[in-house]
Amino acid sequence: MAVIKDLKTKEITINMGPQHPATHGVLRLMLELDGETVVKCTPYIGYLHRGTEKLGENKTYATALPLTDRLDYVSSMSNNIGFCVAVEKLLSIKVPERAQYIRTIMAELTRIANHIVWIATHALDIGAMTVFLYSMRDREWILDLYEMTCGARLTVSYPRIGGVRCDVTREFMESCYQFTEEFPEKILQYETLIDKNRIWLQRTVGIGIISPEDAINWGLTGPTLRGSGVPYDVRKFAPYDAYDKVDFEVPIGKNCDVYDRYRCRMDEFRQSVKIIRQCLEKMPEGLVLAPEAPGYDMPAVPPKKPAAPPPKTAEGEAPPPPPPPPPPEETGPVFNELYVATEVPKGELGFYFISDGTGKPYRMRLRAPSFVHAGVLPKLCEGSLVADVIANIGTIDIVLGECDR
Amino acid sequence: MTLKDIVNRFFLIEILKGMALTFKMMCTRAVTIQYPKQRRKIFPGFRGKHAFVRDAKTGKEKCIGCMKCANMCPAQCIYITKTKIENKMVVEKYDIEALRCIYCGYCVEVCPTCALVLTEAYEYSAYTKDEIYFNKAKLLQNWDDFASTYPADEYFNKFWRPDGIDTSKMVKAKKEQGPVPTRPVPQPAEPQPETPAEKPPEKPAEKTETKETE
Ligand code: SF4
Ligand code: SF4
Repeated sequence: MAVIKDLKTKEITINMGPQHPATHGVLRLMLELDGETVVKCTPYIGYLHRGTEKLGENKTYATALPLTDRLDYVSSMSNNIGFCVAVEKLLSIKVPERAQYIRTIMAELTRIANHIVWIATHALDIGAMTVFLYSMRDREWILDLYEMTCGARLTVSYPRIGGVRCDVTREFMESCYQFTEEFPEKILQYETLIDKNRIWLQRTVGIGIISPEDAINWGLTGPTLRGSGVPYDVRKFAPYDAYDKVDFEVPIGKNCDVYDRYRCRMDEFRQSVKIIRQCLEKMPEGLVLAPEAPGYDMPAVPPKKPAAPPPKTAEGEAPPPPPPPPPPEETGPVFNELYVATEVPKGELGFYFISDGTGKPYRMRLRAPSFVHAGVLPKLCEGSLVADVIANIGTIDIVLGECDR
Repeated sequence: MTLKDIVNRFFLIEILKGMALTFKMMCTRAVTIQYPKQRRKIFPGFRGKHAFVRDAKTGKEKCIGCMKCANMCPAQCIYITKTKIENKMVVEKYDIEALRCIYCGYCVEVCPTCALVLTEAYEYSAYTKDEIYFNKAKLLQNWDDFASTYPADEYFNKFWRPDGIDTSKMVKAKKEQGPVPTRPVPQPAEPQPETPAEKPPEKPAEKTETKETE
């Protein structure tokens, strides 16, 4: 007995990450442990910093778009759409209706693809391997749908300022409809595997509780916030694209724990399928690019106004006629400052632009949901067990590409 | 605790259900593709290896050196050098550093002469950087490689003139761009204006016009 009494115990500091398969990228958590309990948790980010904001300031609006693919590479289409919606507001471009519907379909497909990756990795972290295999099988279909439309599977760059790059084909519409028919069954499969599974329940119920007040104060958005019972969704509160023309619900949780956030996302699968179905049915015919949309080769500096001809009023000559009114300005942004938010699968992705009237943003700031969510980790983890840190990282659904930008 | 919960607790109902599902899946067809032996279907418009379309008429590339692609490329990986020969600007060097390319495909879309294309070839890893640094000759070679494996006789990249986009603002060559032949066109000793009419499937008649515009 004496031996145990003399044992010196102290808190131990360990690094979780940056190369840890369960930190979803290169997140590094410095954990101070007292036995199995986390006393202090400090997230360190920046291992994937690429300077997207600064890069964007050196490119025109049209060519800065591919940068947004690389933010949250799991849902690149949504990021593109968020960027386009913001720039369109800046340049006051009205997107044709067909393009709006196409974008809505794409955004919801992306939401499904993102949540599929989320459920796959989250379940894998917690120990349910089969879900990973099934969900990756289903994600393939969505990637095929992307490829069918725009030729790329991951970094799509499919939307463009003022619409989308090309029209969807009949083949796409049919395949997409087929997908909405078959996917609900797949959701049931995932649920059969984990929804009531006792190990899953023990690892998720009552873990990572964050109250609605705290969730709002920490700036959480998306399903992470809705799991705490706050029905905030940009798609409902500030509809963009075709979200005001479709009917859907915003699933919310009530126990504020990991399990409820999981339930929220599972319900979002079903809502997304519903939205896609409505869009496919309501999609009008027409063009997919606004006539006033800037081309890819939009000028970085606004076209110079033709210099006034030198006043060569020679003696005796009649005074020159008044100069014709200047040609209508090419759609260039005026000095402006705006913040536009869109609902990406992970939460609220906001673009804040300061434009100085040229073709490049003077300042481009990104409000990345993953960045905000990574900040809440200490709140979730402190006082819990080491094993629950993994569940907490999974539940806030972060991608470090977006977090570090 | 209800009776259902107790039954569940003792008989592991939910675990058995999960296992039944996995067992069922075991009997379905595998979705995995055994990659080098099997290949997945590539959809038209896939953004892969770069190539210069070989003009059936001149046997050379169609690029006019307008610099649109080089100025706009988001990755800044297209390098063009032009020289003046007999008062005409000629593209001396046209290089694409494919290792820096992000395969956005914007260059294909802006090109006014539809000279550039991202082909459906995706297997071109190499041991040295130089092999993936495409100059003009290599880009044409890429096209020949791609065309010889392409199943159809004609190829049209959908980003040359995307569907659903108003064509009225496009330049004439882009507006009228038709499918390009992928099989080598037998070069007549001297180009006869009537010759194209004899080969209806190739439709080089359209291509004659595309060359006229700058
Ligand atoms: S695909 Fe994009 S990055 Fe690559 S060369 Fe063309 S424009 Fe540049
Ligand atoms: S845009 Fe087309 S024609 Fe112009 S330089 Fe590039 S490849 Fe040549």
